[in-house]
Amino acid sequence: MSAFGAMVWNGFREARRNRVTVVVGAFAAVVMLSSTLVTEVTVATFDRVLTDFGLGMMSLILVFLTIFLSSGLLSREIERRTIFLIVSKPVSRTQFLLARLAGNMLTLALLMVAMMLIFDSQLLLFGAKITSTQYVAAAGLWFELLVLSSAGILFSSFAGPMVSAVCTTGLYFAGHLAGDLLDIARRAESETVQELTQALYYLLPNLERLNFRSHAAYDLPVDVTTFASSAGYAVAWAMVFTAISLFIFERRDFR
Amino acid sequence: MTQPASPDAPPIQAQGLSKTYKVGFWFNRTVRALQGLDLEVGAGQIYGLLGPNGAGKSTTIKILMNLVRPTHGSAHLFGQPVTSAATRRLVGFLPENPSPYEYLTGREFVTLAGHLSGLTRHELDQRVTEVLGAVELGSAEKLQIRRYSKGMVQRVALAQALVGKPKMLILDEPTSGLDPVGRRQMRDLILAERDRGTTVLFCSHIIPDVEALCDRLAVLVGGRRVREGSVQELLSAQVPTMEMVVEGLKVDQVKGLGVALESALALDGRVLVQVADADSQRLLGSVLTAGGRVNRMQPARFSLEQLFMDALKESGRATSVGGEINT
Repeated sequence: MSAFGAMVWNGFREARRNRVTVVVGAFAAVVMLSSTLVTEVTVATFDRVLTDFGLGMMSLILVFLTIFLSSGLLSREIERRTIFLIVSKPVSRTQFLLARLAGNMLTLALLMVAMMLIFDSQLLLFGAKITSTQYVAAAGLWFELLVLSSAGILFSSFAGPMVSAVCTTGLYFAGHLAGDLLDIARRAESETVQELTQALYYLLPNLERLNFRSHAAYDLPVDVTTFASSAGYAVAWAMVFTAISLFIFERRDFR
Repeated sequence: MTQPASPDAPPIQAQGLSKTYKVGFWFNRTVRALQGLDLEVGAGQIYGLLGPNGAGKSTTIKILMNLVRPTHGSAHLFGQPVTSAATRRLVGFLPENPSPYEYLTGREFVTLAGHLSGLTRHELDQRVTEVLGAVELGSAEKLQIRRYSKGMVQRVALAQALVGKPKMLILDEPTSGLDPVGRRQMRDLILAERDRGTTVLFCSHIIPDVEALCDRLAVLVGGRRVREGSVQELLSAQVPTMEMVVEGLKVDQVKGLGVALESALALDGRVLVQVADADSQRLLGSVLTAGGRVNRMQPARFSLEQLFMDALKESGRATSVGGEINT
């Protein structure tokens, strides 16, 4: 195994042995299985409610876990001085940071796969339809988690876990409201407000571009171009956040 | 393009290293941790950095391990700048109060360190077993590090430093916090590594460890190097002193004999006196003339402790202090 691979695997192992991940994983399983309860409140829109609830819960739980894992990723290593024993090896700080991000994304991907398996078995159990758009929605969620993870790591490169978590949570909500900012810009009469809201829109990642859950609930097709441009958009934002993190992290003193 | 590190180049070369930290909420105060330090460590030596707390020992080591960037000056390991990651292939590092990943077992942690040090899968298993055996953790290798005692954590951290077969070990306070048995084991391990040809740089404020281990040493005070040389050179450079035990005279009477004394201490009806060798015969005569007796007279044993205290006094720092703070 290469040094990079070993660090990625270690990141995954850390998350797997973290009690919070285990508890959240168990909670996710319980919540997904309890989707039977929501079927009680619907008659005609059975498939839609099941899909909406399942994917919504998946998003909520994984976003929480992403914020928890990523916001302390670097700051905890620096505070506990575990980083001394790693960056003193023949690996660059860039490799270390990218491996931590990759380890985080691997953990989230595997949890997502497990949650999708439970989700699909629920659908099969109730005779509801499994559609490709449900998988597109899950993939969109993974790209959203990539943006949030890289933002969490960025905040974590200069602030403590608490501040990083608050900032990442703020970015999550602001990112989902970014589309509204553009609406405000269009409707505002003041030129200053228009410019300000427009500037804010371009400074924030529009996370709604990665939300295909309503497509999945209504079984609407998502064309390849739309998905590819959204995925590219997420990767671009993740690259921007990671580049800034690297710029800061490479110059930091570990006292 | 960066040249590969050469094991034949001097393990450590540093010129004019300075480090100033900005502290305070507005970063408006500065702490000078290191001021123009020159350092050269030859192959196969055990080189000690001795100094009180805040002398700049750990800062020097952190600069060498690229954990901290110097404000001025340059540092090279095996002929390459310390910023080159490849250079660290030849170095094993044990930080002060090491903190390995607690969720890993001892074996998993040392295996991770082996991967990062560039060992191949083929040699890794055997090497990990070897170093865990050397630090006597073979029986605890499957235990999570969170269950280890402080001494065991120190040993697993040393194992990760050794796993990559380094040409040089850099150890920051390796015996700090260990019980006497642990300290002895750590010292034996360091000496065994030296016998294998490994260069060792270590810092400590535990003088007996430095005295027992080092071939050469530098004394740092307030971020500056105030003494440097082999232990023998440094000790022989001290002024020869005689120690006398005087009876029949009080301490004030001994002090009033007109001979310059280094120290005079009342001790259960006797006076313990230290005097420069050149003045010892004159003091002997004066004591006898004044009606006193000298029941013991012997050369004082020079120690690093004395050297260290002298260096502190000369620097105007009688107690251990941190770096210089400027507001």
